[in-house]
Amino acid sequence: MPFDTTTLDAPFAALKSFDWGGDAAPFQTIDAAVIAAHADTALRSDLETRFAAILGPGTSRAAKEYVCRKLSLIGTAASVPALAALLADKDNSHMARFALERISGPEPVDALRKALGDVGGDLKAGMISSLASRRDAASVPLFAALLAGDPAVAIAAARGLGRIASPAAAAALAAAKATGPVADAVIDARLACADAFLAAGDRTAAKAIFEAISSAVGNAPRTHRERAVRMAAQSGLFAALDDTVAP
Amino acid sequence: MAPRSSTTRRGFLKATAAAAGAATAPYVITSKALGDATTPPASDRIVMGGIGLGNMGSGDQGGFLGRPDVQYVAVCDVRQKWREAGKGRVDGKYGNADCAAFIDFRELLARDDIDAVHIATPDQWHSIMTIAACRAGKDVYLQKPETLTLREGPLMVAAARRYGRVVSGGSQRVLEDYRTIVDPCWAGELGRITSVDLNVGPPAMACYLPAMATPTDIDWDLWLGPAPWEPYNPGRCDGNFGTGGNSWRSYIDYSGGSLTDWGAHNFGGTIFAAGLLDLQPTKVTYHPASDDGKSAAFVTLTYPNGVEVHCNRPQHLRPQDAKAVVAHERGITIRGDGSPIPPKAVPAYSGTGGIYGDFIDCVKTRQRPFRDIELACNTMTAPHMVALVQRLERSLEWDRAAQQFKGDDEANRLLDRARREPWTL
Repeated sequence: MPFDTTTLDAPFAALKSFDWGGDAAPFQTIDAAVIAAHADTALRSDLETRFAAILGPGTSRAAKEYVCRKLSLIGTAASVPALAALLADKDNSHMARFALERISGPEPVDALRKALGDVGGDLKAGMISSLASRRDAASVPLFAALLAGDPAVAIAAARGLGRIASPAAAAALAAAKATGPVADAVIDARLACADAFLAAGDRTAAKAIFEAISSAVGNAPRTHRERAVRMAAQSGLFAALDDTVAP
Repeated sequence: MAPRSSTTRRGFLKATAAAAGAATAPYVITSKALGDATTPPASDRIVMGGIGLGNMGSGDQGGFLGRPDVQYVAVCDVRQKWREAGKGRVDGKYGNADCAAFIDFRELLARDDIDAVHIATPDQWHSIMTIAACRAGKDVYLQKPETLTLREGPLMVAAARRYGRVVSGGSQRVLEDYRTIVDPCWAGELGRITSVDLNVGPPAMACYLPAMATPTDIDWDLWLGPAPWEPYNPGRCDGNFGTGGNSWRSYIDYSGGSLTDWGAHNFGGTIFAAGLLDLQPTKVTYHPASDDGKSAAFVTLTYPNGVEVHCNRPQHLRPQDAKAVVAHERGITIRGDGSPIPPKAVPAYSGTGGIYGDFIDCVKTRQRPFRDIELACNTMTAPHMVALVQRLERSLEWDRAAQQFKGDDEANRLLDRARREPWTL
């Protein structure tokens, strides 16, 4: 039986003025509609239109947060513009990403990539995290350019490149001139790339990274961190050499 | 007590950069450092710190603090009450005031004298802290439930393996509380295991608690960490063991609810007993409630070896096969076909002192602990999948190699969640 969308009018009216501590009972109807929308494209479209209206000006942070959670489940490209408009908003950026990161297709990724250039500081680190979770190859040169700037952003960029773990990402990390905590993040990311290459069967690429890191750490690590990195590089190197070493 | 240091991310970055170039203090050898008949010399002790010192964290701290082969040096908690209590227990034990107290876990992890940490924070922090600890070269004892999302497990395991860390999950009950089902299963008395029934609690719920003034004794932003920003309310962050509201264990941003919190034990015991430790379900079947109201909804997990684990299956639907061999424990029923199979030795903890001793022994020997993080994360796939199909109200198929559900975009959206900036894995 099709979902009766007239039952949504009152809950959506209540949602407009919802704040934490308010009556959440009307949400049960919306929650049920979101589940039903899995098999009902018309209902999904109806819900997205209603949700987009809540994401505009004049509604509370709590209401927007609720909507982003729901769009993270059923949102499509149609919801991207309303969500993208929140990405530069300090209060709502994370929840916009919460939804966009989960929506399939190129539109949400394009929106996140565009916002990467529009925001700074922690919000930029957030965009990097979401783009990395989507393994967006087009972000690699953008992340690479961020390795030399604000340390917090540079660390996020390094971790993002490690998550993408493509040859281009590995090359960008290898070229990074970093110090301190950023350098540590670059090493972690290079190890992640090498592990990914090894898992994919590219022993040559993996070996080159493991050798470079092993050489950089040296034979006399002084700290727990250095010992762990050396272990990662040397055990990785061993694995990369495994089928070429004489028994 | 004044916090030992600041908590901002940028401040932390500056501090660690500065610390890297700082001169080291002279080291004075004390009589205690040399050890005695009951205490190993300092060089042989595992130096530990604890992150999250509330209800479970204080218990874990006690388990490690009481060991002569552990030197406990630092605590970290975003709540002043727990931080001070944790420091007080350490200082009381050693008769000094040397235990460092941190608000920000990154500062504790930056201390190179610390070999291992125990973590008992709300669940949204588990993966970030565990991976950060591995990167810092620390071994980790991590309270259960080890994961909050399905995607976190493989990343945590990868970090542990990459850096050669000993990472133990934290359910002591798996080995200690379910022997009446574990022993007959491992002894072969049930034959080949065919099915399991277990009762599990509800999943976590959304939180709409009202905003209240944030007290000065909690760093609220750091308490939330990667979770969505929501206003302070004591019911949102209380560490009591309830899951019906007024505790973080109730709410979806910080926990999987009773389903994962107690489920880590219940599924843990079941999966250990039934020999499913290395496996992940291939099918998760949603059985809706019957129209006549006689049957509530329930979920069946099907493992690749054919074992079916039924969660909350109504009693009248459970088989009454007289030939089945049944072991009951804590609401768990395991059935076997009675076929002859050879007995296997039940794995045991290493060292002495239960699961804490197992962890410490493995830190020393570099063996994998009884509750190795990979086995713990495999276990957690079960309650996470149950929660997912309960939420979606439909059945799913799992591709373990791809770590994806087959042909269900919405289900795959729920494998993970965006973390609040600046936190990332």
